[in-house]
Amino acid sequence: MDANSPVSPGSFAATGRGPRLFSGGGTRATVISSVSTIVVLGILVVIFLLAPGARAFEHTFFSPTDMWRSFIGNPRKGYYSVGAAIWLNIRMFLVAEVLILALALFVALIRQSASPALFPIRILTTGYVDFFRGVPLILVIFALGFGLPALNLPVVSSQSDAVYGVAALVLSYSAYVSEVYRAGLNSVHRSQVSAARSLGLSHGTALRFVVLPQAVRNVIPPLLNDFISLQKDTALVGTLGVIEANKAAGIYSATVFNFSSFTVAAILFLILTIPLARFTDRLIERDRRRRLAGGTR
Amino acid sequence: MIGAPAPAGGGPVPVSSEALRIDDLHKSFDSNEVLRGITMSVAAHEVICLIGASGSGKSTLLRCINLLEPINAGRISLFGHDISGPGVDANLVRRQIGIVFQSFNLFPHMTVLRNVTIAPTKVLRTPAAQAADEARALLDRFGLIDKADEYPDRLSGGQQQRVAIVRALAMQPQLMLLDEVTSALDPELVAEVLEVITELAAGGMTMLIATHEMGFARDIADRVCFLEEGRIIEEAPPAELFTNPQDDRTRRFLRRIVEAKRL
Amino acid sequence: MRQFIVAACAAVVVTVGLAACGSSTGNGSGTGGGGSGGSAAGCAKSGLSHLLHTPGQLTVATDNPVYPPWFVSNKPASGKGYESAVAYAIGAKLGFPASKVVWVQEPFLKAIAPGPKSFDFDINEVSVTPQRAQVVTFSNSYYPVQQAIVARKATPIVTKHSPAQLKTYLYGDQNGTTGLAYITNKVQPTKQPKVFDTLDQAAAALEAGRIDALVTDTPTAQFMAASQLKHTVLVGQFPTVGEHYGLVFTKGNALVTCVNKAIASLQSDGTLTALQRKYLGIYLHFPTIKP
Repeated sequence: MDANSPVSPGSFAATGRGPRLFSGGGTRATVISSVSTIVVLGILVVIFLLAPGARAFEHTFFSPTDMWRSFIGNPRKGYYSVGAAIWLNIRMFLVAEVLILALALFVALIRQSASPALFPIRILTTGYVDFFRGVPLILVIFALGFGLPALNLPVVSSQSDAVYGVAALVLSYSAYVSEVYRAGLNSVHRSQVSAARSLGLSHGTALRFVVLPQAVRNVIPPLLNDFISLQKDTALVGTLGVIEANKAAGIYSATVFNFSSFTVAAILFLILTIPLARFTDRLIERDRRRRLAGGTR
Repeated sequence: MIGAPAPAGGGPVPVSSEALRIDDLHKSFDSNEVLRGITMSVAAHEVICLIGASGSGKSTLLRCINLLEPINAGRISLFGHDISGPGVDANLVRRQIGIVFQSFNLFPHMTVLRNVTIAPTKVLRTPAAQAADEARALLDRFGLIDKADEYPDRLSGGQQQRVAIVRALAMQPQLMLLDEVTSALDPELVAEVLEVITELAAGGMTMLIATHEMGFARDIADRVCFLEEGRIIEEAPPAELFTNPQDDRTRRFLRRIVEAKRL
Repeated sequence: MRQFIVAACAAVVVTVGLAACGSSTGNGSGTGGGGSGGSAAGCAKSGLSHLLHTPGQLTVATDNPVYPPWFVSNKPASGKGYESAVAYAIGAKLGFPASKVVWVQEPFLKAIAPGPKSFDFDINEVSVTPQRAQVVTFSNSYYPVQQAIVARKATPIVTKHSPAQLKTYLYGDQNGTTGLAYITNKVQPTKQPKVFDTLDQAAAALEAGRIDALVTDTPTAQFMAASQLKHTVLVGQFPTVGEHYGLVFTKGNALVTCVNKAIASLQSDGTLTALQRKYLGIYLHFPTIKP
């Protein structure tokens, strides 16, 4: 092709259609993807099975009978259902998440405010964040779960372990999440606030309708990161004695000397966290597409 | 009619036909004094253009007028009411003054329609349906009605800036401040925005326009103010200022503009 | 949709592959088979060296912290306390003077878990059970055990502990213990018990009022009630079910044969009984209650 001839339309056509995970369409692509995945995974499984100690490893961690038994539980034999226990983790996580979103937002807004009247509260919240980001969560759980009852105060000392566990999770995680919110608030350009105030919106209204929606959208990935972490940290509440999924798995393994119960617990935790991660990917993508699909102006 | 003195959005009845009066305004950022004694007045329905180099204080002046920036000394009066003293409700003042920025500053997470209706519904307590109707009427008037349900990032720069103007107009302000509203636009999009401003001026809106578009200033302004280093150097109707500038500094500035072929 | 199909194929392959081979028979874990080492004459110190974890010394393990009456002042090397004394007595029978007995630390749950051990034997109130015996080797008994209840003073369980009433309380115990097994198998309470990682945490929970009662062997229960915890009392002990303590060895370790000989010798010459009277004697007179 000489320098003067126009570029023919097909000359830049590539065989693929770009770097996306599943680009293009069609049944053929689906079949190829499936076959390729099965082959690669099949090879990995075979390598794994051929390794020395593979049998012992599988019996200890992947024994179907033990997985089933620990999933169902049998209190007469001294172990409890991991499948039932995960509901406690789920409930603790749901309650904690809502409270964390609220408390962390409150802390972040206080720390971002400039009002002189709020100065003492600002100092307190800074201390709160420093403290609870520095102290390990397990210590907080211990302190609340064993310490508060020991004080013999009227309402505070007679709650269930799950309540103390959720309280510890909320105090600890809100410190982290408030920093994420602050990053989000700082990521909204000052000109947005100028525009909102110029229209006569009060500080609070501007915050609520203009700044916060943008701030939160900007930090959805790190927010989600913290919540996946929270789902798993509910397992720490088991140190107070309450039988959540990880503790139930531990009871099984201490009674029967097989760790397949932990595999069951791990699978259950994955079932919890992975859909949440995919859902959030979709949220981010939908928001991005809606706002930036304009392309060139 | 937009720009009529009776404040439709509520607010004090004007006690003077002088729309805006600024007395010896000083503004510093830390130790850097940006405005060094600005004194000017704008009559109702007047269109004033502010010209000058970047850093001369045009934007700062506009942001002081609508109380986005606190001032260090001086006085600002809107229709005779002091708006720069203590105890003034800034939100009330800002309802009377509309401002449009160089970078549009539309709210990206809201549709165009919502951008326009958010302030009337939240600040003026206009019922949602009525606010939407009025917004659509405004958008239609400026040729943007088919973009009402789009998000700002799908609009061209010129369209976004026109939406920003509509958004400010929706509050029915008595005074409009335009801060270099075409400087960030591609040249072919500038005209559509200037058309909108011209129409507003024809409708009697009192306007203070900071601009680099000298040709536009010459056509639309009742008076042109030239600023340099935080002071008004010269102030005159455009015909006089552009053809017969009195001050040396004005002459130097205009010569540079001509050399850059912008006049 | 395609992502879902491929992900589903992947999950099927992995699960089938692993489960198919996981269901193969055989216990897998644990080291070698049994086999007796140490002939009649071979229990002398010189004949044992190939069986020891570290030749030239007797490596004995226990937990940290440890409590009376089994050990004193958390110092296993002091020789005081029933288990400390028994360990040194066995060492002496095997030909190891006190200076050649070395103590190491091993948490309770790790000591009874399958796998090779980093000690010759562990002495830590470990009850012999068939399940544990599948994964570790036990010596013969060095102390017969009954389980007992510890509770706070002036709480209902102290006076009301008929079999039906016992089912109504909230129990707590350490994971993997025969105390916990006794609760779930014999007492069968209506409320799910609380399960802790260590006995200390269960004790703290009892003191804080988080549980009504704790079940552990009588001597430990008596120490808890008398010294370790405030305002607690040993309510009573359960009848014996043949439970006894044994020393814990790596599965198949032939050293156990010689140790059993030593234990038999200590029993017949009265040493064990004397030590029990010295450290555990005062604990033998408690009311027995039925589960």
